[in-house]
Order: sequence, then structure tokens, then C-alpha cells
Amino acid sequence: MANILVVDDEVDIGEVIRRVLERAGYAVTVTHNASAALGAVARQPPDVVITDVIMPKVHGVELIRILRERFPGIRVIAISGGGSFGPLAYKPDAIKTHAYLAAAREAGAQEILTKPFDLTDLLAAVRRLLPN
Amino acid sequence: MGRLVNSLRVRLIGVMLVIITALVPPLYLGVSAIVREGYADRFVNSLRVYSRLVADELETLDEGDFDRRAVALLDSVVLSGQVVFAEISDDSRKLHSSIATPLIQGPLRDDFHFGDQGDQVYFITHTVKRGDHVLVLRLGFDEVPTAEQIAAAERRVLLAMGVFVLASMAVAVWLSWMIARPMVRLQHAAQRVAGGDTQAQLHISSSIREVQELNFHLEHMRRELVGTSERLSREIREREVSEEKRLDLERRLQHRERIATIGTLAGGVAHEFNNIMTPILLYSQLALEEVPADSAVARDLTRVIAAAHRARSLVTRILTFSREVETQQPNVFPLRAPVEEALALLRDIVPANIEIVFTAPQQPLLVRGDASVVHQVVINLCTNAYKAMGRNGGKLGVKLAAVDDPPDGQVAPGCYHLLEVSDTGHGMDKSVLAHIFEPFFTTREVGEGTGLGLAVVHGIVSSMGGAITVRSRPGHGTTFSVYLPATRAQPQTAAAGIGA
Repeated sequence: MANILVVDDEVDIGEVIRRVLERAGYAVTVTHNASAALGAVARQPPDVVITDVIMPKVHGVELIRILRERFPGIRVIAISGGGSFGPLAYKPDAIKTHAYLAAAREAGAQEILTKPFDLTDLLAAVRRLLPN
Repeated sequence: MGRLVNSLRVRLIGVMLVIITALVPPLYLGVSAIVREGYADRFVNSLRVYSRLVADELETLDEGDFDRRAVALLDSVVLSGQVVFAEISDDSRKLHSSIATPLIQGPLRDDFHFGDQGDQVYFITHTVKRGDHVLVLRLGFDEVPTAEQIAAAERRVLLAMGVFVLASMAVAVWLSWMIARPMVRLQHAAQRVAGGDTQAQLHISSSIREVQELNFHLEHMRRELVGTSERLSREIREREVSEEKRLDLERRLQHRERIATIGTLAGGVAHEFNNIMTPILLYSQLALEEVPADSAVARDLTRVIAAAHRARSLVTRILTFSREVETQQPNVFPLRAPVEEALALLRDIVPANIEIVFTAPQQPLLVRGDASVVHQVVINLCTNAYKAMGRNGGKLGVKLAAVDDPPDGQVAPGCYHLLEVSDTGHGMDKSVLAHIFEPFFTTREVGEGTGLGLAVVHGIVSSMGGAITVRSRPGHGTTFSVYLPATRAQPQTAAAGIGA
């Protein structure tokens, strides 16, 4: 049974992804920040990491880079909502999530999912990374 | 009155009148004196000759029966017509003409001046020698015919003077008119110029040098004035135009700022919103799989999911408009490809009573960007176009063209490819046109339009470095012109189309 690590600072999102994936038959671990995720990976390397790219402290792109370096075998799905975020979210020079998604793809994320995604989209992405 | 007296014409006539009235009496007096003297001299001279002849005749009369013969001579003299009194006298007697004496009334005095004494008779006395004694011949000549001649001559002089005065007056009036006319015409022309008709030329044909010069200088002055006023009005016009341009620029800037602000706000909201939407959508879909497919709960959940999808696409559109969706890597593609794909789609949607007319040049119009967003632009513009025509039908025109000179002020100078979408629908008035690119602005019924279609188009076109303009007249349809920067590079991949 494939192991999937979900990283999202939004508890609701982490939980619903766990529900979807467990129902599809995957073993799921959910963490809410990058350092906890790295700890979980160190304890038991998963087959797939699904990570939000925009998180406090260490963001998703950084996490993907570290994973690429230390665990090149782990496949990554980057997820994010569109729009702007951060302290300048409502200013013209706010950070745009699509820039982060592009960076995540560059850092090595094999799949990109834009929130809100459908259940089928999520499962399809996971299945593309875990063909068996 | 003073106005009349001050007029040039009246003054000229007045001067002429004064000259004439000063000149005419002495002239008349002089001429009539000459006439009078001429007649009198001739009268007197002829009488002298006549009376001399009579005296000579008396001297040679026969002595025998002298008195009878003398009286007969005097009678013949009187009968000749000019003489009214004839008398021969010596110391002892007086012989009179037998017929002349009664003609003379009153006392007879010697009168050697024509016209004197008021008796109308002019007397001449001759001494006639007969042998040893001397006779005195006295003849009285009638002055009346000569006086009448003189009077007639004087009347003719007077008449001539009158004619002269009248002619002089006529000449005076004519002269004053001749002199004053060009001045008056100049004055009228100058009045027209002063009244605003600056093109009225000051051209007076006059042979008077001063008038010609006055005319020349006035015309010169007028041209200067016209030049100055034209320069001034041109400057004012230019200033108005530049002010208009400035206001227009300001309006466009404000408009752009407003759109940017809304886009920024939307971007900020979108991130949070998408995070919130994710569990809603996923939990609903999870729950849907837990319940029987034909249950009421399944139906409700399907509705929740559909609503969540609508919400998602709304956010996507907002982000498209604010250029915050992740677009594909820009590449070079022919403009025609996404337009034709969009039109193929539209032909199934657009009602049959609307004719779609697509025109494009032979050569490929290459642009750089994401072909799928151009597809979106065509869909949005054409959807608006056919909805504007409604049930009446009409013509939906889609045109592609290369333009070297985009409309001034809309985009930077350069080569552009034009995508034009026109309809023959209801058109829009200015108040609507001012807001069409703003997000959430719609003229359709609530629920029919999101008010994002044109805002999205605006966002896409701007992100491609292009511009969009619109022309519309209520009742005559609308034309949207999208200018996309032309590029010369060849298409990078064949997969420039949609859905790649």
C-alpha cells in the first residue's frame, strides 16, 4: 500500500485530502508545516508528497527542493489556490501564487493542482504518479 | 444735425455753396453792366450818326418854303420809327414835327444819358447853319426798345447764371459724392471687418491717390488683424485639444487604476476563497460517493458541487482579468488558429438568424502569447456580440488584419495585428461605454451575465501588451478592436492551438 504525506497549513484541507486518499486505499499522513513534514519523511519516506506551496515559515517550494535533494525518489504534487497572499495580499505588488506554482514545477513537482480541485482530479494526479 | 454737418459730403457741398453764392452776385452785376453799356453805346452811336444825317439834310434844304419842307423832314424822321420828338428852333421860332409832339408827355428836359431822368427819351441837339443864321435841331429818341433789349439780355444773363449755379451745385454734389463714396465704402468694409467678417476684403476702386493709400494701409492692417486673430484662435484650439487629451489620459489612467485596484483586491480574496472552497468541494464529492446515487441527498450534494464549480470558475475569471492565473508559456502562434477554433465553437451556439462573417488575410498574423486566452477573447467578444443582436438577428463580423498605424494614444506606435469583432445589435451609449471594461459591470438581467466577460478580455489583451478599443452607436451596433503586438518569429510548436 502506497504511502502519501499531505502537507497543508489549512487543517480542513489536510483532513479532507486524507479522507479522499484513505477511501481510495492509500496510507496517509497529514502534517501542517514543512518541518513536521520533513520529520515525517525522515521517520518513514512516503511514495508521494502532496504539499501546499504557500505555508508559513518554510514554504512549499523550499520543501520540494529539500525533498529533491535528500529523497529524489519521492514524487511531489504541489497544490495552491490562485490569487495573492502574504502581508501584501491586497496591494498591487502582492506575491502571486502562480509564480509559486511555476517555481514548484521548476523545483521538481511532477503535478500541479489548483485549489479548489475536484476529487477526481486529485485521484487522477496521484494515480499518474503511482501507476501500479 | 451736428452729425450731418460733420459728414464729408455735406461739408463739401456747403463749401461749394459758399463759393457759388459769393461768386454769383458780382459776376451777375459785372456781366449785366457790360451788356447795358454795350447796348447803350450802340444806341447812342447810331443816334448820333442819324441825327448828323438829319442835320446835314436840313443844311441843304432849299430856302424857298423852308418851314413846310423842314416840318415834312421832321415828320419823315418821326415816321422812321425811332424818333419820338423832333424840333427845329432859332431865336424867333420853333418848328415841330406835326405828329411827334403829342407822343411826349410832361416836361422835356435835355437828357444826354441813356436811361436817365425816367422819361425814356434820349435827346440829341445839333446846330444847323443856314446862311447867316443858326438853327438848333433837337431830336428825341425812344429808349424803350433798347431798354427792352437790355432787359431781355439781362434776363438771359440771369438765366445763364441760374443754369451755372444749378450746374455748379450738381457738380458740387457729384464731386462730393465722388470723393466721399470710396471713403464711405471703406468705412462700410471696415465696419464689416469690425463686426466679425474678417474675410471681407478692403478693396475700393478709386482714382484718388489718398484714398488708394488709405485703402492699402487699411487692407494691410486688416490682414495683420486676421493673421493675429487666426493665430490666437488656433492657439486656443490647440490648448483646448491638449486639455481634452490630458483629460482623456487622466480618465484612462483613473480607469486603469480602478481596474487594477479591483484586480488586486480580487487576487487577495481569491487565495483565501480557494482555500475555503477546497474542503467544500472535496467533502461534498466524498459525501456524494457515500449516499445512493438516486437519493435526495445525492441530488442536493450534486447541486452543492455545481455551485462550488460555478464559484471556482468565477474566481478563475476574476483572476484572469487581474492577470493572475497561471498561463501557459508564451509562444508565437498565428492569430487565425485560436480565432477559427473559437468560431467553430460559436457556430453551434449562435442562433441561425445571425450570420457570422469571418475575414482574414492570406499571410499568417503572428502574435506572442497564450493561444488559449485569445480563444477566450474571441468567445467573450462574440458572445456579447450575438447577445446584443438578440432575436432580431444580424451580422456578426470577425476580421483579422495587419495594421501599421494603430489609433493614436491607445497603444505604443508599432506594428499590430487587429482582431475586430463587430455586430449590428443595439449598440451602447456613452454612459455604458465608460464602464464596460470594469469587472461586475453588466447591462444584462441579474443572473444572465457576470459582468466579467469584457474585464477578462481587457486583462488578457493588456497582459499581451495590446490594447482594446470600442466604437458603438445606440441602434447601430458595436465594434471591438483588439490590437495585439505583431511578432516576426516563426511559430515554435505546432501545438499552438487549444487544449495543449
